[in-house]
Amino acid sequence: MLCCKDPRQAGGYLKGCRLAAKSQLRITGGRVYDPANGIDGEVRDVCLADGKIVAEVDGGRTLDATGMVVFPGGVDVHTHVAGAALNFARAMIPEDHRGNAPFVRSPGRRSGIGGATPTTYVTGYLYAGLGYTTVNEAAVPILSARHTHEELRDTPIVDKSCCVLMANHEILLDLIEKGEIERARHVAAWNIWAAKAYGVKAVNPGGVAAWKWGKDAKGLFETVPGYTTLTPAKIIQALAGIVDGLGLPHALHLHCNNLGAPGNVGTTLETMKVLEGNRAHLAHLQYHAYGGDDWYTMRSESARLAAAFKANKNLTCDAGVVLFGNTVTITADGPWQHLLYKLTGKKWGNIDVENETGCGIVPYVYKEKNLVNAVQWATGLELLLLIDDPWRIFLTTDHPNGAPFWRYPEIVQLLMDAEFRREQLKKLPAKAQGRIVLPDLTRQYTLYEIAIITSAGPARALGLPDKGHLGVGADADVAIFNAGTDYARMFAYPRYVLKAGEVVIEEGEIRNAHEGKGLLVRPAYDASVEEFIRPLFQQHYTVAFDNYPVELERIEHPEVLPCSSSP
Amino acid sequence: MLVLTLKERPHVPLEAEVLTPDRLAGLSHAEVRALPILRGKRQLRLDDVFEVEGDGGEEVELRGDLGRVKLIGRGMTRGRVVIRGNAGMHLGAHMAGGTIEVEGNTSDWVGAEMRGGLIRISGDAGGQVGAAYRGSPTGMSGGAILIGGTAGLEIGMRMRRGVIAVRGRVRDFAGLQMKGGTIVLGSGAELRTGAWMTRGTIVSLGPLRLMPTFAYACAYNPVFVGLYAKYLEPLGVALPSAATQGSYQRYTGDTAVPGKGELLLWRPAG
Amino acid sequence: MGGKVSCTLGEVKNRADFLVYWGGNPAECHPRHFTKYALMPKGKFVPRGRKDRTMVLVDIRETPSVRAADLFLQIKPTKDFEAITALRAIVKGERVDPAIVAETGLTVEQLTDLADRMKKAKFGVFFFGMGLSMTRGKHMNSAALLTLAAELNAFTKFVAMPMRGHGNVTGGDVILRWTTGYPFGVNLARGYPRFNPGEFSTIDLLVRGDCDAALILGADPGATMPQPAIDHLARIPTIVLDPKVTHTSRLSRVHFTTAATGISAPGTVYRMDEIPLPLRPALKSPYPTDEEVIRRIYQAVAAKPPLAPPDVPPLAILGR
Repeated sequence: MLCCKDPRQAGGYLKGCRLAAKSQLRITGGRVYDPANGIDGEVRDVCLADGKIVAEVDGGRTLDATGMVVFPGGVDVHTHVAGAALNFARAMIPEDHRGNAPFVRSPGRRSGIGGATPTTYVTGYLYAGLGYTTVNEAAVPILSARHTHEELRDTPIVDKSCCVLMANHEILLDLIEKGEIERARHVAAWNIWAAKAYGVKAVNPGGVAAWKWGKDAKGLFETVPGYTTLTPAKIIQALAGIVDGLGLPHALHLHCNNLGAPGNVGTTLETMKVLEGNRAHLAHLQYHAYGGDDWYTMRSESARLAAAFKANKNLTCDAGVVLFGNTVTITADGPWQHLLYKLTGKKWGNIDVENETGCGIVPYVYKEKNLVNAVQWATGLELLLLIDDPWRIFLTTDHPNGAPFWRYPEIVQLLMDAEFRREQLKKLPAKAQGRIVLPDLTRQYTLYEIAIITSAGPARALGLPDKGHLGVGADADVAIFNAGTDYARMFAYPRYVLKAGEVVIEEGEIRNAHEGKGLLVRPAYDASVEEFIRPLFQQHYTVAFDNYPVELERIEHPEVLPCSSSP
Repeated sequence: MLVLTLKERPHVPLEAEVLTPDRLAGLSHAEVRALPILRGKRQLRLDDVFEVEGDGGEEVELRGDLGRVKLIGRGMTRGRVVIRGNAGMHLGAHMAGGTIEVEGNTSDWVGAEMRGGLIRISGDAGGQVGAAYRGSPTGMSGGAILIGGTAGLEIGMRMRRGVIAVRGRVRDFAGLQMKGGTIVLGSGAELRTGAWMTRGTIVSLGPLRLMPTFAYACAYNPVFVGLYAKYLEPLGVALPSAATQGSYQRYTGDTAVPGKGELLLWRPAG
Repeated sequence: MGGKVSCTLGEVKNRADFLVYWGGNPAECHPRHFTKYALMPKGKFVPRGRKDRTMVLVDIRETPSVRAADLFLQIKPTKDFEAITALRAIVKGERVDPAIVAETGLTVEQLTDLADRMKKAKFGVFFFGMGLSMTRGKHMNSAALLTLAAELNAFTKFVAMPMRGHGNVTGGDVILRWTTGYPFGVNLARGYPRFNPGEFSTIDLLVRGDCDAALILGADPGATMPQPAIDHLARIPTIVLDPKVTHTSRLSRVHFTTAATGISAPGTVYRMDEIPLPLRPALKSPYPTDEEVIRRIYQAVAAKPPLAPPDVPPLAILGR
């Protein structure tokens, strides 16, 4: 519950935290990158007042950003930082906690641990420390959404949104199978508000439901085990249509079937066809871009996938880059994790959530000398380099699956510095060269493009009009970097980070750890749908219906964004 | 030589990871006295809790009942630490070289995740000797730990290499999930010796209670035991090996994993 | 290294057709478990309820829970680890020694039969209690059953979960994990979280006398812990917060009577499967809540001159 201590207030750990102060600030002399407003490295002032970007200020402080680079605050479109699955993972890896430098308590900073599954306070500090100010928690089960929101309350500084899991939600699946899409839409809308969510997440549609019997759903057009006519394709189509019909600001957020399997690019291409006519955001696309028939022939099919993706303009995606090193894989793709456990003999955690979803957890190390890992590493970067519209592909690692989020600066370096990339390629096993196309790609990202894939693009895809840009009316979330050519270092150590108009990070020190906002939507639904849900719920769940919805009071500084009446 | 005498038994444990030859070598007398020691949540100077004689160096002698002084020798790579008394938890944890000798008893986690060097304890040790810390895949991966008295639970848990020899009896789970290396039990153990082991050798001169997942293989005199006996004899561990004295019954397991570890139980002749 | 394969209780209600209670007595300790979650209710895929389920009870003696069991396996005390390890081997088709198995009180035939039944189940569940987790072997007993459940997933769907203690034990575990990374036994003396069961866990700290003050909330160690622990609590300044005057209160320095959580005090409780539920108090209490008392103690501490935190660096990271 406690998340900040204002150093200016004595004994303040337990004092109620207030939102940002209403001060005025002018950032002057920096090279501004604001792609949403077409500003590409122009030296100009950015003015902040009352937590917003304004055209001008009269008085107040001045922050001299001469020689520095000014970006809108980062927006992470897909990460796993709070809730039951991540907390389960924390329990599984005490050795990872011990193996990473701890966060020692100090005035203004709570203690905690970092590594692959940072504790909640540290998550806020680490994100802010990278210049990120908004994060989208990508997988929330409705039944434990209360837990997710409790953890998010203890995650300081950043603003948060949540995507709630629906593609294995049994009440919805039954309705979709029966063709009752209209009613399914009302049920979905009710559930979104019950969970206090922002968007809809679909993970391995049908596959997690099948896992509850120990099976999977790999074929998009094959009947899901346990059902008679329902297929993953039908679930995807129904949910994408429902999300668009409800006018949610963010498209259906989809983790495709067949994650991680050699040859799965076929499933991804089929999925794109199924999605025609609807918006969708494809999560961690790297894990869905493989060719080959088995682990020995697995290769990257990023070129084929990139071409199809570019043609389907209704889609956005995030990269899901893999980096070499220790991490932990956490995904609602239960069958995949069981497979990983059998293949590697590593620790395995699994929890199935009644009627809704499940998750599997396996601590993992990506190694350069492992041929499969080498292909994975290359594939993520290939997608980012081949898909040349940065407004449609965003920088993520599916934290913590591909790598912990605090390693994003390494990816920026790999994208901006082709020479550095070539050096890293040399470390891969010789056999990998025939499986990947990365050696042929010479593109280098510009700062403007980096600002898009880390901020402006995700904000637009999430449908957040006040995020990801520095135009008048935007939230005053700003990241200011020392210009340099060591891009990993530059982006790992911003000089200043401002959130809601206040300096929160200055030269690596936390200056102010205030609370962030919870971004929500409240789509319209017919109130009578509760009479439909209630008896089914009481029959199949083990929680009283009245205890199911998350109380609005639990959301820290809620902000409800509007749904459009016609998307 | 540097001699540190504990002034009085602390009422809560001290954390003294500064007490390694690596840290102490080259320090002046005054610098040694100023080193930080933690008592609970409070930071003290070393000379708040120890009488100090001499300057820092490669050898340090500690005197007194240090049973509540933790982390001595942690991570050391060289030199010699002698304790004339008891020692607390984590003695020599992560050690890579050098020698630690204890005249009294030690607490748990002696030589945890050790990589090299020698630890010799005259008295009793606690549990988790040479073991992996919770969640870590591997315990001790080199070096030798010799214990003159008894030891506790989970000794050699997930060890991968190195040798642990205990003259007295040990408690449950000796060699739990062992992956390699050698454990010598001079007086046998209580329950569950070698549980879930995948590789490695446990030699026992005293009785064991076998797990149901170990199978009798044969009785013989393995050549390597004779070699080990020569290695361990100067360290004070007597390992019988001659056929005239007896033979070892070999059990393999743990089939639950399934593993290829071995237990060698000594059967004296006649 | 095994793992933990689990689910929420609704999955048990809707799917489980094979239940094994090991070392627990739910009829007396978790009185609603059979009727609400596990044995009796009709589930989505278990339409006939009890008739579609088989329940096996493994314990050292017959308790009232035996009445609900289809099969009771009486195991000898301190033999659980051996029996479960033997099951792990049998499930894999590996050898076990019949004579040593028989020492557990169960025969190879009985264990083989159990293994077959488990493999044939559509959805199996192990529920384990303190009879397993607190008897000789302790955490290794729990690890054994969890590993067996994970390994059974090669054949069918199988999960395992502990039957938790009263109060909000699970909630404490969950919150400690998200704030410190560790579920219990967290040492913050050096300004950051450290974890080592056996060193920093409560019972060990008290038995060894390694702490010099104690604050007890929602527990009664004066009734449940070994005598050396109780003696130490009596020696050091001990503070108790509890709705009742407990055994621990009687040896404490200060006792606060607080409102009973869930009855007069609001909050959130985490069920044994980690589902969070809101507590809506039905009654008012003249006493303050635990939260109010802790806040006021904290404010009093914060008003004192601050204790300089140790500036000694964190323990060096080794062995990574």
